[in-house]
Amino acid sequence: MNKQIRFTLNGKNVSREVPTHRLLLDLLRDEIGMTGTKEGCGTGDCGACTVFLNGKPVNSCLVLSGELEGADIVTIEGLKIGPELHPIQKTFLQDGGAQCGYCTPGMLMMSKALLDENQNPTEEDIRFALSGNLCRCTGYAKIVQAVQDAAAMIRSKNVQ
Amino acid sequence: MSELTVVGKPVQRVDAAEKLTGEAVYGYDLVLPNMLHGKTLFSPKAHAKIKSIHTEKAKKLPGVVAVVTGEDAPWTHGESVKDKPFLAQVKVRFIGEPVAAVAAEDEDTAQAAVKLIEVEYEDLPVYTDPEEACKPGAVEIHEDFGKYRKAEFIVQGAMPNVAEHFKLRTGNVEQGFKESDLVLEERYFVPIIQHAAMEPHSAHAQFDKESGRLTIWVANDAPFRALHEITEALGMPKEKIRFINPLQGGGFGSKGGLKVEPIAVALAFHTNGRPVRVKFNREETFISTLTRHEAVVYSKTGVKKDGMLVAREMTIYWGAGAYAEKSPTVCIRGSLPAPGPYRIPHVKVDGYAVYTNKPVAGSYRGYGIPQGAWAGEQQMDEIAKRLGIDPVAIRMRNIFVEGDISYWGEQLHAVGLKETLLKATEAIEWGKKPTISKPGVKIGKGFACIQKPTRSPTTSAAGVVVNAKGEVTVLAGTVEIGQGCNTILSQVAAEELKVPMDKVRMHPLDTDVIPFDASTTSSRSTYHMGNAVRRASIHAREQIMEAASPMLEAGVKDLDYADGKVFLKDQPQQALPIGEVVRRKLGINGEVRGDGSYTYEIGKDLDVETGHSDHASAFYMYATQAAEVAVDEDSGRVRVLRMSAAHDVGKAINPLNCAAQIEGGVVMGIGSALHEEMVVDNTGKVRNPSFLDYHLATSLDIPELIPIIVECPEPQGPYGAKGLGEPGLAPTPAAIGNAVADALGVRIYDLPLKPENVYWAMQKSKKKPAA
Repeated sequence: MNKQIRFTLNGKNVSREVPTHRLLLDLLRDEIGMTGTKEGCGTGDCGACTVFLNGKPVNSCLVLSGELEGADIVTIEGLKIGPELHPIQKTFLQDGGAQCGYCTPGMLMMSKALLDENQNPTEEDIRFALSGNLCRCTGYAKIVQAVQDAAAMIRSKNVQ
Repeated sequence: MSELTVVGKPVQRVDAAEKLTGEAVYGYDLVLPNMLHGKTLFSPKAHAKIKSIHTEKAKKLPGVVAVVTGEDAPWTHGESVKDKPFLAQVKVRFIGEPVAAVAAEDEDTAQAAVKLIEVEYEDLPVYTDPEEACKPGAVEIHEDFGKYRKAEFIVQGAMPNVAEHFKLRTGNVEQGFKESDLVLEERYFVPIIQHAAMEPHSAHAQFDKESGRLTIWVANDAPFRALHEITEALGMPKEKIRFINPLQGGGFGSKGGLKVEPIAVALAFHTNGRPVRVKFNREETFISTLTRHEAVVYSKTGVKKDGMLVAREMTIYWGAGAYAEKSPTVCIRGSLPAPGPYRIPHVKVDGYAVYTNKPVAGSYRGYGIPQGAWAGEQQMDEIAKRLGIDPVAIRMRNIFVEGDISYWGEQLHAVGLKETLLKATEAIEWGKKPTISKPGVKIGKGFACIQKPTRSPTTSAAGVVVNAKGEVTVLAGTVEIGQGCNTILSQVAAEELKVPMDKVRMHPLDTDVIPFDASTTSSRSTYHMGNAVRRASIHAREQIMEAASPMLEAGVKDLDYADGKVFLKDQPQQALPIGEVVRRKLGINGEVRGDGSYTYEIGKDLDVETGHSDHASAFYMYATQAAEVAVDEDSGRVRVLRMSAAHDVGKAINPLNCAAQIEGGVVMGIGSALHEEMVVDNTGKVRNPSFLDYHLATSLDIPELIPIIVECPEPQGPYGAKGLGEPGLAPTPAAIGNAVADALGVRIYDLPLKPENVYWAMQKSKKKPAA
């Protein structure tokens, strides 16, 4: 069944007729053509497809398009702040948080979700927050480091 | 010019920025104009004859453009044995084997059509145990094995279902065991695991009838080998086939060879020139692409009282799965060094790559080294324990050092093993009692050493282009699979041309324009392609200096080169930037191109009867990893507390990237040590084809990681570099196994060290009366 739905995507209004059973992940990748959000498993087990839905991180492979009326969606393509990289993107670059990069969009979105709530996370907090995001390349150490450094960067900006 | 400016520095990755913004386009992301969507019908049977296939209903479904079966694709492929059909022919040999495929206007339609294909099967005996499959009287899974086209080095062996029999014979092991004071014999087991690269597999193909050209877009880490295999299978001229590599989201050995490509190609011949995309989802990737060999390893070792090794005999059954893929070479290059990096006078190894009715096994980061090490390195510790010798001391007495003649007859050079052993064990405070003490928790330490050869002889070629703006483009066939090659190769070009890193760009990979490279495998890229890019850069630089000679009114020998400029040796202010030289010589659109290639030419095939070669590998990688673990006595749960990993890389071209490779490898190794296992039941069905049930290491499973770089330069390598990608996980399970045995006083012979395995091993030992 198709349905006309309206939502905001990275701050822009979108109105589309879509099958209600279409996964948000597939809506983004196949219908809208934004492939920054990655499919790693399609069953909610790897976190590669993490996006923000109404301010909360979700696996977009577990959200049906029919649920999206009036929703606010932010994807990896909307993570930059204007032309500038978000602190978490800067520190992933600097610390080597990305290798093959396929899990990276999901990692970044989940890291941002943590940092939005807690700007002074412990290493344990970070490991727990990212435990649903699988990475096969990095061994996680440099990702955890990048989140710590991003937190410090955000804290120092807030002080200024 | 001798001082290094970029090489050896912890340069940031050149490919990271686009990966952080979602702009990077991976194979799985790629959308082509007017593209069709392909779906695959997989065999539900592990071993069966195909009695009939009916595709009429599927073909009639609106939106379906093509339905193909083995009849439409009468071709076979395989790296060293041409045994694998594009789509099943006559019979199926594993659950997950592609049987038919559909191309349709959208994926839903394609999937619906797949369900309408009717196949009738007649069951055949199913073999899921490699030891059973090669027993006399076993039914041949490949009854036509003798007729297959195959590489010259293949030795079939006398038993059923053996695709390769590797033999190593040095000295006389029987005599050696007689001369030994202690002989230990044990059976070890390593289960099937999967690469689980985060990007699932996919391929796109398009056939243009008019030009007769076939184009394949795929994240394949050996595009020139894939090109060769497709060319050979189809009998088409090489120039009619083109591979284009979108970005690759990990591989670890799973994305070389042909996986989804044959299905996409089979469909592309029936879509009237429209491109078709075939994506495997995660479950399909689990069951149908590639696994790491399960291995049964029998190891028998004889030693003198002082710990000196006398003899080692190993028999290894490598579970190849249903098709040979890279099993013959995994069997050869995994069995050869399995006895370990030690001086042993008497050695006998028999490696058998055995067909079963399980998913296909092939190359996996480490290429057979982890399986041998799991057995050999645990047995070393067991020997040390029986003799009352410290495990470090027993290895120090036996390990390879510079100039040793190995048991395969090669004199070894650039051996940094001893330093890795000392540094790795020191990093976990070997010999010191653990600081943590908790009731119900046992703490232990352990380590393991490995040696790893690389595929030899092989070739890499590269081009380096300098334009009139002084910008540098590197054309290299090494695939960026996450390992960081684009950064390393850019550093090499930047170093030789003395330009900043941001002036260097890697050309996208396209077999129409990129020079030949053997493969992005075997930790060969930094060494082989590094040498090729270095030579090509020097070639470009030489041309620029020659061109600058008349401009600066001086002979080439009076010129020097630094900071991207050519200048007079005695008047450095008389300088021309390289871009300016190119512009003056060739105009604003001019380009100077340097070419270079590197082949490790003296590599020799191993002798078929003895396994000997005086140059078996271009270089050897040595490593020691050491673990401290905590074992919960109630549950059997093992936690790794800290893990050091000392790797001899020859020369770290990028220390940041070396650490990243080591950390990633170790964590993959921890996964394989503690929980990874593809469970295949006795009908051949994979019971856990999802990330929910197949447990990869998560951020919560990670110990303190201590990567240690050891630099024992390899004279032939660029700046002394060897390779690093593969060995990262090779000693990890054995190191953890030794630490668990140290903690519990009980040895566990089967991986993974999951709680129930550890728990039952503890219970079993408690029942034993005290000795």
